[in-house]
Amino acid sequence: MFESVEAVQSALEGQKYVTTKNIATVVYLATKLQKPVLVEGPAGVGKTELAKVVAGALGIEMIRLQCYEGLDEAKALYEWEYSKQLLYTQMLRDKISQVLEGADTLKEAANRIAQEDDIFFSERFIVPRPLMRAITSDKTTLLLIDEVDKSDPEFEAFLLEVLSDYTVSVPEVGTIRARNIPIVFLTSNNAREMTDALKRRCLHLYIDFPDLETEVAILNQKVPGIEQRLVEDIVELVQRVRNLDLKKTPSISETLDWARALMTLNADSLEKDLIEQTMNVILKHQGDIEKAQTELSKLLSEKAAAQRAQEPVQSTPTSIKKSVLH
Amino acid sequence: MQKKIVEFTNILRKAGVRVSVAETLDSFLALDEMTLDHRDQFKAALRCSMVKHSDDISTYDRLFDLFWSGFHDSLREQIKEALQGLGDIDIEALMEQLQSMLQNMDVDLSELAQALLTIDQNQLEQLIRQAGDETGIERIQNMLQIGFFSRRVLEQLGMTGASQELENLVEQLREQGMDEGELEKLQGLLKAVQDAMRKAVRQYTERELDKQNHDYIERFRQESLQEKSFYNLTEEDMRKMREVVDRLAQKLKNVVSIRRKRERKGKFDLKHTMRRNMSHDGVPFELMFKRRRKDRPKMVILCDISSSVANVSRFMLQFIYSLGEIFTKIRSYVFVAELGEVTEIFRDRDIYSAIDEALDGGGVINPYTRSNFGMAFHVFWRDHLATLDNRTTVVIIGDARNNYNDPRAWCLRDVHRKAKNVIWINPEAPGAWGFGDSVMDEYLPHTDVAEECRNLRQLSKLVDQLVL
Ligand SMILES: Nc1ncnc2c1ncn2[C@@H]1O[C@H](COP(=O)(O)OP(=O)(O)OP(=O)(O)O)[C@@H](O)[C@H]1O
Ligand SMILES: [Mg+2]
Repeated sequence: MFESVEAVQSALEGQKYVTTKNIATVVYLATKLQKPVLVEGPAGVGKTELAKVVAGALGIEMIRLQCYEGLDEAKALYEWEYSKQLLYTQMLRDKISQVLEGADTLKEAANRIAQEDDIFFSERFIVPRPLMRAITSDKTTLLLIDEVDKSDPEFEAFLLEVLSDYTVSVPEVGTIRARNIPIVFLTSNNAREMTDALKRRCLHLYIDFPDLETEVAILNQKVPGIEQRLVEDIVELVQRVRNLDLKKTPSISETLDWARALMTLNADSLEKDLIEQTMNVILKHQGDIEKAQTELSKLLSEKAAAQRAQEPVQSTPTSIKKSVLH
Repeated sequence: MQKKIVEFTNILRKAGVRVSVAETLDSFLALDEMTLDHRDQFKAALRCSMVKHSDDISTYDRLFDLFWSGFHDSLREQIKEALQGLGDIDIEALMEQLQSMLQNMDVDLSELAQALLTIDQNQLEQLIRQAGDETGIERIQNMLQIGFFSRRVLEQLGMTGASQELENLVEQLREQGMDEGELEKLQGLLKAVQDAMRKAVRQYTERELDKQNHDYIERFRQESLQEKSFYNLTEEDMRKMREVVDRLAQKLKNVVSIRRKRERKGKFDLKHTMRRNMSHDGVPFELMFKRRRKDRPKMVILCDISSSVANVSRFMLQFIYSLGEIFTKIRSYVFVAELGEVTEIFRDRDIYSAIDEALDGGGVINPYTRSNFGMAFHVFWRDHLATLDNRTTVVIIGDARNNYNDPRAWCLRDVHRKAKNVIWINPEAPGAWGFGDSVMDEYLPHTDVAEECRNLRQLSKLVDQLVL
């Protein structure tokens, strides 16, 4: 495990994840205290990615439980392997007839079968699902319960039980206790608020949209070889756009997509036409695009004004820069 | 340290951040794992174990700075200012000289006098905090007490005694033959440091007051929002209330669905099990259980949208539609004099714009008329009575001020007969029912529940009863 907060930070940076002090501290404590972390924040700020890089940094397996409406205990924990059970019954048909031999009534037959049923409902026929796998693994694993806010409150209540004592009970088999307590990350977009009981169990980490510096660092990490000037242009514009009242605020993923798109177009800085042609990479709604364009024009004229103030004589017609952001 | 944290927790609580005892203990455990010399790590460690709602983070940040660093900085600021005010004397040289002279003298100084003499800022901070704790500074409640508590802290510190000690020391140094010029500088320095100390104590007291008050302003706002009458809301109030309603609805939804889950585990269902396991040669691998499904109520809601009642209707609609899945079916109608159905508007629109549109008549009625409950009920009776059955709860929101029109109470009587419940929500107090043009008294016999509702607290209590 990690030695210190600084060790977390450098290990995660090693996984190309730009890590704030705040994030590093929470991750460090989670591993030390063996407490689950509830990671909240808007879409696309790196919640899922964080779990992946922690597993990567520790060299442990990540087991992911993707939540959705209607996810129930069975799908998260274990299911009976009916076909295998069936196969066994077929193969053991003779034996079963022996057991049933001489039973006169249906009731008696049923009773005899019932006496044997623990053969069929044993660990042999259980197909473990993510929660069970994380708990019964021989090695410590990282369990990612992704988008827990999409699950139903009933499922949350069940999760709470599991996360309290790391045991699950299979009625037919008994209680299964964790061999190794997994490192647990839960992520949420706040589609609904998690209950206080669950929150009390967890350390809490809120990841917001990154500030300018952090986002520049992320682009440099994730899009190697990109022009520094382009990075700055992109991030500055995206950060401005985020302050607008939009249907869908662009996230880090969109910034990354945009940077990659512009790289393919061989851009080395942002120009007005280029922005307008590629704006749909970061914004999906027409209304949002229109708002952003107004903002863009404002930004451009501000920039132009600043530039005029800065270099009044130098700007001879030949040296007019094409880039509009610089 | 732990005591300090408990105190900090109390301040968070007062500011409306809920921190449980378990979480406070968690923060102790967390701090055990940390080295405490990085303020940002310390801040993050406390936060992740105690503050679990993202809305509370800004409050936490503010209070953290107030509590853990504010005073630290202001003391240093004061001393720096005091030293700068001395002009250009070489403090270090002065200190060195002092040091060497003191070595050959037999002086015994109190902690405070020593700290003042050596300008030991950490020690001074420590002493002020300690004296503050001992005087019970957390009891400070208002501005008028700042002077009083500052004096108490200075007394507790033993400031007068320390001053005296330092004067005596200067005398002793004079006797030992210290240069008059140097002595004057030293006296100037000591005076400046003591002044700075007094100011710092006052600031410390002011900060304590801030800490104690912070919350209470915030809490007061929260509480007053819940109590605030729907009749006069500012834009800001409306926005905040919308959030509060959202949160209350969410909470209620969780409670209801967890309760339903408990009810749902039913008895073993033999028939269903047999049918389900036909493919396994009738060997019962999958056991099926009967689902005891508690009836989800159907909801019909009639909203008066005339301006006197519009806000009650607004927040009631927000409640009902946020709770959506708790009911099997919701139908909503708006009325002033005419009545029209607005259920469709809520189907494919986000809830807030749907509410705005419904309150504006929803394109089905003219909102700018004079209230006529009798007529509205008559229309409902004629066109929609058939949609009611004995699982339907009818909620009516209105002040029953009928402008002296015919109340046609018999329409409501028939509604009452067909529906499971009729609930009337009236923004006026019962004392006013039936007076002037209020015909509430005529409708009252045909309701199961009739309640006054003028603010959010009353409304959320009502909704609570409605679903539980
Ligand atoms: N700090 C970071 N350093 C490097 N890359 C990051 C960082 N934060 C986010 N990213 C990148 O941003 C993208 C989005 O991250 P991720 O999918 O983890 O977001 P999320 O918060 O889980 O979103 P959602 O709520 O939609 O599931 C990923 O491609 C990830 O690599
Ligand atoms: Mg994700």
